[in-house]
Amino acid sequence: MTEEPTSKSKLTVRRYEDRPVGCPPGSDPVAMTKEEREAHRDTVERLKELVEKAGKGDKKPLPEIRKILKESPDLAWQLLDVGRVAEWRYTEMMLKEEDFGKKEVLRCQLAAMREVIAGDNPSPLERLLADRIVLSWLQIQLFEDLYASSLSKSMTIAQANYYQKRIDHAHRHHLSAIRTLAQIRKLGPAVQINIAEKQINTMGEGIPGS
Amino acid sequence: MSPWERRKRGGRYYTRSRKVNGRVVREYVGGGALGELVALMDAEERQRREEEAAAWREEREHLEELAGLVDELCEAVETVARATLLAAGFRQHKRGEWRRRRD
Repeated sequence: MTEEPTSKSKLTVRRYEDRPVGCPPGSDPVAMTKEEREAHRDTVERLKELVEKAGKGDKKPLPEIRKILKESPDLAWQLLDVGRVAEWRYTEMMLKEEDFGKKEVLRCQLAAMREVIAGDNPSPLERLLADRIVLSWLQIQLFEDLYASSLSKSMTIAQANYYQKRIDHAHRHHLSAIRTLAQIRKLGPAVQINIAEKQINTMGEGIPGS
Repeated sequence: MSPWERRKRGGRYYTRSRKVNGRVVREYVGGGALGELVALMDAEERQRREEEAAAWREEREHLEELAGLVDELCEAVETVARATLLAAGFRQHKRGEWRRRRD
């Protein structure tokens, strides 16, 4: 955890914080109620529909996309909540119950990876994508580990196919996450958006039709 | 079909059925103590395979649930990233590069 920046230092370089984007210090993202989770899922689903429409060249969904992003500043950290739960469950699955030391080492390694990938002064979107990269990397490790350990046992063709399919799938997620982060970085600060707290919102400035 | 075949002159004969090139082939193993022994071994082998299949089904369900968590997150993050780009005035050129919308 780092100190909360003062309003004056918003633009100064902040150290990467290993906590969900937009999640205020001390809050517990896992404490979301079922209704809140459902509402969050609905928001993402609606956003997905709009993005698909806009992706086909339709400009009509753009105002609603902007409205959702503006009105859901906690969207990013709720996503990270899912990510942290998944990460915890993956480490539990990969290591034996009593391997507390190894689990801690793995969690530290994942946090370090997030920090390196997110880089200096990352935007919330970059941090979200950094988390996705790390999580998909962890998924590759899990399935490759399961596949490798099954090789020494009698593995059926169905099992081998399943592991291969999952490894391929995880690789695709991983590469897609890296590509998206690279695109966001290439486009630069124009893609800053208010998807989390304390984010400089440049959305609408100089954007045609906004 | 029962693996035990009853003979006309009395007694039972243990058989195994398996598919060879799409056709069922019956293998005649034996009767009496030998048949009983092989039947017992086959039953144990069948039980072992069923237990392994059940364990794999359970493991696979667990893995699918785990993978589903990451799939859901990846899809949602991709949606948010694309929404952010669209909202910021970009469009995707032929499912590849993102370019600033000119109109």
